[in-house]
Amino acid sequence: MLSRSSACRGAQRAVCQAVRPVQRRGLAAPASGSFHYQSGESKGIKYASRDFAGPTTTLALVSKAGSRYQPLPGLSEALANYAFRSTARRSTLRIIRESELLGAELKAFHTRENLILEAKFLRDDLPYFVELLGEVASSTKFEHHVYLEEVLPLIHFAHQRFLANPTDMAINSAHALAFHKGLGNPTASSSSIPYTKYLNPPVIEGFSKTAFAKSNFAVVANGADHGELSKWVSEFFNDVPAGGVEQLPGSEQTKYHGGEERIAHASGNAMVLAFPGSSSFTGKFYKPEIAVLASLLGGRSSIKWSSGFTILGQSKASPSTSVNTTSAIYSDAGLLYTTITGSAENVAATAKAAVEAIKKIAAGEISKEQFTKAKAAAKFKELEYGQNIEAGLELTGAGLVHGSKPYQIDEVAKAIDGVTEEKLKSAAKSLLESKASVSAVGDLWVLPYAEDLGLKA
Amino acid sequence: MSAPSLAATVSRRPWLKKLFTPLANWYVNAAGYRQLGLRADDLLPEENDVVQLALKRLPPKEAYDRVFRMRRAFQCSMSHTLLPKEEWTKDEEDTPYLSQIIQQIEAEMKEREDLEAMVVTRRKAAQ
Repeated sequence: MLSRSSACRGAQRAVCQAVRPVQRRGLAAPASGSFHYQSGESKGIKYASRDFAGPTTTLALVSKAGSRYQPLPGLSEALANYAFRSTARRSTLRIIRESELLGAELKAFHTRENLILEAKFLRDDLPYFVELLGEVASSTKFEHHVYLEEVLPLIHFAHQRFLANPTDMAINSAHALAFHKGLGNPTASSSSIPYTKYLNPPVIEGFSKTAFAKSNFAVVANGADHGELSKWVSEFFNDVPAGGVEQLPGSEQTKYHGGEERIAHASGNAMVLAFPGSSSFTGKFYKPEIAVLASLLGGRSSIKWSSGFTILGQSKASPSTSVNTTSAIYSDAGLLYTTITGSAENVAATAKAAVEAIKKIAAGEISKEQFTKAKAAAKFKELEYGQNIEAGLELTGAGLVHGSKPYQIDEVAKAIDGVTEEKLKSAAKSLLESKASVSAVGDLWVLPYAEDLGLKA
Repeated sequence: MSAPSLAATVSRRPWLKKLFTPLANWYVNAAGYRQLGLRADDLLPEENDVVQLALKRLPPKEAYDRVFRMRRAFQCSMSHTLLPKEEWTKDEEDTPYLSQIIQQIEAEMKEREDLEAMVVTRRKAAQ
């Protein structure tokens, strides 16, 4: 016989079970709440944040001032190297020591489209670092001796590192072929003459006035309360230049050109086969099938002790040849490129295999299983990338500055779910029809021409 | 290595400044460096790290002019002559072009020492 209390408990349990299915979600569906950025605007400054539970915060200032938008070569790089140096109120040393005492990490770097100042710190220190970023943006002193003693040597090092790396050279050369100016600008100084010719502190200071103008950057935080962030942003970013007068070069719609470049290099072989790709999700030319195509071509295995399911992973000429397919997304254009490095003979053979793989996909000769795997891999990569705090910050900031729309990772994952085999096939076909950008760096005697590979260039 | 000086203290007090100006003018003239075309900052001892760094930070034109003035002064000194009167350093030309940079470097070094000697106290728990 049931006692009264146990019957009651049973009823409670039944109620619980009836409620639970509503909260349950499939394993593949992302926990949308934590991925979403809340965005806002105060006094003309855009900001976004997501309250990621945890004791640390990552704060970034994302400015539309990457190498694409620089009016003279090397300016983005120089401005990134001037970040966190003496400001009107504090010296370089004081900034460093204070940040060290708070246990923080400071970083400044630039990508093709964005200049990013980043600080990672303990959650309680948010006001200090919002103030610091505001100060760096508005009142950095562009002193001549700092340029000579600290900034210029860093640019020289970056230049030397760039020249010693055939892969970087090939990727930069492929971008230059594909987009000419703008997105095609090299990210590091590629020849020693231009940067000493065009750079000096007053010019860099002039560029900082447009780079850190109110309409040109966004403040993005990960792991900060939205209310707190908006309060401090409206307090500490009052001195940044209003701007909005000068239109930065490179803002016009990117046009794809294509072509071929061959550079002799003694210390390695690299080949990049690049095709027009997809813009960022926040841009106008978003094509999710390109991401699936990139993971289907692939080349790098994500599983230990296996060459992976990707077509290029299986058909590369030797295990020591490194192949990777990337779908580089920018605000209004993209580049799908396969990078091949290794010994010259193997690079040549793998490049041929890559073109054949694209032809095979265009003809629809891939199994259902491979397609499913590629879709799953592409979706995983997107979601993982979204969880990766730094990438998320940059994409969100860029989305805010370019299109006033933060990058919402869940919707990207949904878009990838919607890719069909038919779409993938037509995307591969369009790659073969368009003019490719082919760049070969290394032993030019062995590395093939685009025409030998069967590409239009 | 800026030379120790009471100049700031004196020039802050108008009556003292009025008193000292003729004396200062007489002294500068008697020191004789202006008759060789030099400036006061050319006479600072440069055999130490601070001034060496300051000299590196001089703009190229200033550095060139400094060397030119020194060579001209050596020449005059060896031939036991003075420059013609119109080439003497004028009062408005005798600017502290180097001491400013030296003071800046000294401030940087002092800040570093202060930070090095700093006593860190633990922050109170969040209220």
